[in-house]
Amino acid sequence: MSLRIAAVGDVHLGVDVGGRYRSHLNGIEEKADVLLLAGDLTRHGTLEEGEVVVNEFRDLPIPVVAVLGNHDHHSDKPAEIAAMLRDAGIMVLHDDSVVVEVNGTRLGVVGGKGFGGGFAGKCASEFGEPEIKAFVNHTKRIADRWRVALKELDADKRVVLSHYSPVNDTLAGEPPEIYPFLGSYLLAEAIDAEGADLILHGHAHMGTEKGLTSAGIRVRNVALPVLGRAYGVYCLNGDEGC
Amino acid sequence: MEAPQYVAARVQGALAEDDRTHELGIRVDVRGDQLFLRGQVGCLERRALIADVAAEAAPGLTIHNELSVVDVREPEEEEKL
Ligand SMILES: [Fe+2]
Ligand SMILES: [Fe+2]
Repeated sequence: MSLRIAAVGDVHLGVDVGGRYRSHLNGIEEKADVLLLAGDLTRHGTLEEGEVVVNEFRDLPIPVVAVLGNHDHHSDKPAEIAAMLRDAGIMVLHDDSVVVEVNGTRLGVVGGKGFGGGFAGKCASEFGEPEIKAFVNHTKRIADRWRVALKELDADKRVVLSHYSPVNDTLAGEPPEIYPFLGSYLLAEAIDAEGADLILHGHAHMGTEKGLTSAGIRVRNVALPVLGRAYGVYCLNGDEGC
Repeated sequence: MEAPQYVAARVQGALAEDDRTHELGIRVDVRGDQLFLRGQVGCLERRALIADVAAEAAPGLTIHNELSVVDVREPEEEEKL
């Protein structure tokens, strides 16, 4: 059976644009079976903006799974925003997993915000001042939790949903100097170890849509400015006719 | 006179940290007394707001607002993986 995944990140909704994005979601059930949101749903992470996000994505005819982004953390209210989304029926991942039944296929989605640190050979390591150790350690803990979540996941298809990027392919277009703030190879290493069918992320507004991990897992940067369209749709059972 | 790189960095910092903008992806270049803003934003109002915040952070410079507004197109056909 077909499994069509719609995905977008970095919609960055503010109180001044409520309702504007929603119009693009009309008829989404004809194009996709599930919608994944790759974080940076707000601009400043305030509860007022959280409310705009809830109204924009609630009561859709297909299941919605989200992660938060760095902007959604800016006002120190990520747990409150996640709770508002959950109350509206939107699933929110925080370094854990959810299984959604779609047309008889069990789709497992693992993920969370992710974090930075850079890419193999050009990255920070847990050495020196406590601030640097805390930075690197935050990413390591996240990668470990994803690895466990993937290992324990019982599903037919596996998708990882992140805000930060696990690979540098999809950052092409961004200044190389800021790559360490855009993602970390530790995330890809964990995913490659356990396997997945697709990785979706946002955050890199000037990056590129398509990339690969070292093990050959497809990566898609679905940040709205990268896509230039309301959402991307990725079909996982391509051979069986989408 | 303050080096242009420092002015550009201060403007970029203001755009990221100012509550009105929180924009991280704007490219700021200073050449003489001219300041250039490049990148993509979601709507015309934000385009203007970003130029206002930049002007406040770099008084005396002429602002060239070269930001473009991204139109959200309708979704295309799916990619088969
Ligand atoms: Fe973003
Ligand atoms: Fe982000």
